[in-house]
Amino acid sequence: MKLTRRDFAAGLAVGVTAPYVIGSARAQAATIKIGMCAPITGPAAEAGKYATGGAKLALEAVNKAGGVLGKQLELIVEDDQTTNPGIVLAFSKLAAQSDIVGFLGSIRSTQVHAMAPDVMKLGKPVMFGGTDPNLTKLGNPWLFRFRPNDSYSGRVIADYGVNTLGKKKWAVLHSTDAFGTAGGKALSEALEKLGAPSVLDQGYANQSQDFTPVVLAIKQSGADILGSYFTFENDLGIFARQLRQLGVNIPWVGSPSIVNVTALKLAGPALYGTYGVADYAEDSSPGSKAFGTAYREAYKVAPDNQSSWPYDAVTVLAAAINKAGSTDPQKIREAIIATKKFPGAEGEYNFDDKGDGLHGYNIVKNEKGNIVFDKHIEFND
Amino acid sequence: MSAPSDNMPITAPVVRSRPLLIRHLPYFIGSAIVVALAATMRFDGYILNILMQATTFAIAVFGLSVVLGLCGQINLAQAAFFGFGAYAVGIGTTDFHTSYWLCLLAGCLISLLAGAVLGMSTLRLGGHYLAMVTISFQQIVTLIMINAIWLTHGPDGVSRIGRPDLFQSSQAYLAFCVAMLALVGYFVWHLSDTRLGRAMRAVRDNELAAGVVGIDVFRTKVSAFALSAVLGGLAGGLFAGGFAYVSPDQFSFAESVVFLTMSLLGGVASPIGSAIGTGLLILIPEWLRFLKSIPGLYLAIYGLSVILIIRYMPDGIWGFFNVATERWRAKAKVHAAGPALQLVPATIGGDIVLEVKGLSKYFGGLKAVDGVDIAVKRGSVHALIGPNGSGKTTTLNVLSGLYKATAGKVILDGTDVTDMPPHLRTAAGLGRTFQNIRLFRSMTALENVEIGAERPGNTLIGEGGDDALTERAMSALTFVGLGNRANELISSFSYGHQRLIEIARALAANPTLLLLDEPAAGLNSSEKLELHELLKRIAAQGLTILIIDHDMTLVSEAAQHITVLNFGRRIADGESMAVLRHPDVVSAYLGTE
Amino acid sequence: MDLALQLLFTGIGIGAVYALVALGFVLIFRATNVVNFAQGEFSMVAAYLMVVFAVDLGWPYWLSFLLALAGMALLGAIFNLGVYYPLRHRTFLPVIIATIGASILLANSVLAIYGPQPQVLEGWFETPGIQLGPVYLDSQYLLIIAVTIVLVIFNYWFFERTMLGKKLQATSQDKEMASLLGISVSTMIMITFIYSAVLGGLAGILVAPVLFVSIQMGSTIALKAFAATIIGGFGDVTGAIIGGLSLGIIETFGAAYISVPYKDAFAFLVLVAFLVFRPQGIFGERVAEKA
Repeated sequence: MKLTRRDFAAGLAVGVTAPYVIGSARAQAATIKIGMCAPITGPAAEAGKYATGGAKLALEAVNKAGGVLGKQLELIVEDDQTTNPGIVLAFSKLAAQSDIVGFLGSIRSTQVHAMAPDVMKLGKPVMFGGTDPNLTKLGNPWLFRFRPNDSYSGRVIADYGVNTLGKKKWAVLHSTDAFGTAGGKALSEALEKLGAPSVLDQGYANQSQDFTPVVLAIKQSGADILGSYFTFENDLGIFARQLRQLGVNIPWVGSPSIVNVTALKLAGPALYGTYGVADYAEDSSPGSKAFGTAYREAYKVAPDNQSSWPYDAVTVLAAAINKAGSTDPQKIREAIIATKKFPGAEGEYNFDDKGDGLHGYNIVKNEKGNIVFDKHIEFND
Repeated sequence: MSAPSDNMPITAPVVRSRPLLIRHLPYFIGSAIVVALAATMRFDGYILNILMQATTFAIAVFGLSVVLGLCGQINLAQAAFFGFGAYAVGIGTTDFHTSYWLCLLAGCLISLLAGAVLGMSTLRLGGHYLAMVTISFQQIVTLIMINAIWLTHGPDGVSRIGRPDLFQSSQAYLAFCVAMLALVGYFVWHLSDTRLGRAMRAVRDNELAAGVVGIDVFRTKVSAFALSAVLGGLAGGLFAGGFAYVSPDQFSFAESVVFLTMSLLGGVASPIGSAIGTGLLILIPEWLRFLKSIPGLYLAIYGLSVILIIRYMPDGIWGFFNVATERWRAKAKVHAAGPALQLVPATIGGDIVLEVKGLSKYFGGLKAVDGVDIAVKRGSVHALIGPNGSGKTTTLNVLSGLYKATAGKVILDGTDVTDMPPHLRTAAGLGRTFQNIRLFRSMTALENVEIGAERPGNTLIGEGGDDALTERAMSALTFVGLGNRANELISSFSYGHQRLIEIARALAANPTLLLLDEPAAGLNSSEKLELHELLKRIAAQGLTILIIDHDMTLVSEAAQHITVLNFGRRIADGESMAVLRHPDVVSAYLGTE
Repeated sequence: MDLALQLLFTGIGIGAVYALVALGFVLIFRATNVVNFAQGEFSMVAAYLMVVFAVDLGWPYWLSFLLALAGMALLGAIFNLGVYYPLRHRTFLPVIIATIGASILLANSVLAIYGPQPQVLEGWFETPGIQLGPVYLDSQYLLIIAVTIVLVIFNYWFFERTMLGKKLQATSQDKEMASLLGISVSTMIMITFIYSAVLGGLAGILVAPVLFVSIQMGSTIALKAFAATIIGGFGDVTGAIIGGLSLGIIETFGAAYISVPYKDAFAFLVLVAFLVFRPQGIFGERVAEKA
């Protein structure tokens, strides 16, 4: 008897539904559930660890303060494998659990783009950390951003470099992926507006092993300041070392990865004296200081923006549910939008109706390996 | 008895069987049921997504089962073709606002062309080199997808991809995908029984023999690549509509490896195997999500499983089951012996069937064949002999087109075939057997002979329909005495019988000249007698034979005319008995005092 | 001109890395007719071993180095026994897939054991580099180039002048004949895998201070190294070296003068050009099928 396609498909259907059916038969506990899609495997597994760490820290704080609507908060994490189909599957798995009231999405913008249609369909609030400005222009009322988007980072870098450091001949270096391209564009546009158009706009492919051509291009352009958008710390480390080896010491203001724990470890002295825009800077506000202390105590390492935004997301979501007095998605949404002057780890949250909670960045400086807060630049438009 | 000229082909009596569609009705009914289920069963979003992914991936893996399983050519760029289809639909529906169907069609066409171009690289390359070309192609495509932002939106990807109006809801779209899967599955399933499918299998099993048997090897490989690419593109287009968002990282080399693993897991040669492999490799990660708590553990196990599968289940899961059912399935079909074998060699070129003038083949400084003339008379048995290293097999290889002649001419039945590739010579009427038997080992005796019968220009198979082929093949097999074992795999035949099957394969093509390369090699004395009888019966039908052999008894009894080579040169030529007594010949074989 | 000189140095430096890894490829291919897709992971594992010994355990650099290479020898032996040897009679395709599986297994085992963070490994020298006129010579790259030269000479001496080397050559050219002459083919193959693993490991340890130690460090290099072997002529040791160096230079100059983001594409385009017009590479023999 030949195995017909029908038999196989039937077997497949049964095999697929079985574990799901078994899983949902488990008893429901008396908790409020939040779902989180995080990269547990794949290239961003390291970031995933920090993200879940930050979220769990906030969870404990919320539960210690009495929880949400009288119940304890519970976090359910699903692996998104750092891929787009992966996050779609992870999200749909969480979405199938009808008792989850809110979700944490990704810090990677392409992944948020990938899950956006499903978010729209589900109609429940999703907090995310990706900085692609387009994500809050999709007309999707359920996406809430917990980091300032890249239109702000570009403007802040430009503002600081031109107005505070007084440099006008810019080299703009960015990776060719989504993040780098959008960031580079934002920076270039901001520079145009400030009357200091860039003298070099250089893209590079992620995971290059050698940056000699790039460094030489910067040298040749005669730039007196460098603005950068690096995605991976490996590349940043190699570039920074080669930059110094080939004798380039112009001021450098970079995107947040430049002050990442990993980047500092890899590049070491090559990054001394550089500036970074950081959405998370420990000394920038009482809220960020408190988070920093708590995080260090719990995990024995310094926190960075990979853990701060999930912390804020859980905190704000919990507060919003409490304020709304219910788990109805529309009410939660309104409560989040109404969140103003909320002190978080990333800074002061003032949500606009598009879903952006933050509208400025901190400038920090790398003083011989210590990240020192310099100033905060905020935009009110 | 007068043989009809080849202007009046003998029409083979047509055996009517039920039309194809009626025979396969159960499949269509089954598929319709599954499609209906897909359209109506209540699935939640998660399951829907998994099924969508499984269905579209399975179509891409079907493509691999064609090029890799059926044709034996490695293709590590399937994800690139998947990407072509996905981006065609993605960019077409969002940027150009074109209808989904047009975009899907465009995606398939682009993939088809790209696949054909990639396939053309097989002209000179095989094995590792082909693997490298496909990998490079894949890498370049990925790089373009990431960097050509003006076209592909770069790493941002393309979002809000449209679906056809007919299938807007997820449920309907899934049903549509399943229907496509069933259609493609049917096509791939039966591809192996078509002429092209047989050609592909022959190329996979023994590329050299395939060429000699009349198959245009290059064109077959290009077709295989093109087919594989089209299926990949189709799958990608469906995928894009299903997930509404595509980005370059989904079409990288890693994905090609995933497709390949899915193909191998289930069983590379069959569409059912592909479906199984795809299903398992999409479901298992979901079931094993708990393993993902330790980063890397799940993938490490995945890597280990790949090694274990290759080692212990080389034919995949389906192949594993197939072996068990193979035996009693083969016995089920019994074919009629067919009419007595007709050999109607063409008679265009007059008295001399094969004229070889001044043939030379040099390998660098070594003159393996040096200025040899041979004239083979029509209807005779002509032998080519000589001590070891005299250049006999080289001559034969030049005659059949496996080597290019350094100088000289080869004229077969009036046609100059000196520069023709093997498959065109076969089309011109040349048939040959090999010293070390080159049969298609994965096929039955009948299938091997059918491929021989299929040679272009064979006037004795009518329209070339399946029934005519089977009948012709059965005739040939019966002629050599193996008709009752037609459905057995080659491996179950003794060496001597395999040789007979090879001869039957050549005869089924109705050649004008039959080249036999050491047909008695490895046969015991009773088998040699049988061979002699067979040669006599072949000759009695008027077919001209050129035979190379060492067995002097066979040669002297069977051949009327002998040409002798030594050190690449012709040292004697003429009527058998006279040549065998020629002093030069005697001293060449036995040495001088 | 200064620009070109600097680029040349960097190109040769990175090319030497490709050459080292390519050497490992070629040796295995010549002995077993197998392309080892896990060659890059050998480099990666060795680099991690160095990190464990020299950084985590704090042992002296030279001791850690020797231990890491010993570890690689062991890995090469296990690899042969587990992956190649059981499949040695099959066609090349199953073996290729098995080595791909092995590369996934190795990369993710390291990930599972060590975690995803990239690590820093200090170079051999205290001074990071020397300034020679307009050109900056990174000391680790200098070391890499020096080691590659030494290895080329060593390889030549070993294969052409020692008995063992000749036996290895015989095995790679004609296994049957070699065994008929009394050479233990399985031992020769084992030695080849061990040697290749050590070579790959050496490449990884040398390049780690420049590229940092991460799970993915092996695969990018390996793919380019493979391209280098084809450009140089598959199966030829000199070809691997020349191919690696050429590729490094082409890449670097291509990035500087044509386009940085498409840097990787140059490697593949050159590879495709060779495969189409001259598949035997610069030094290889004509690629032809025997009748």
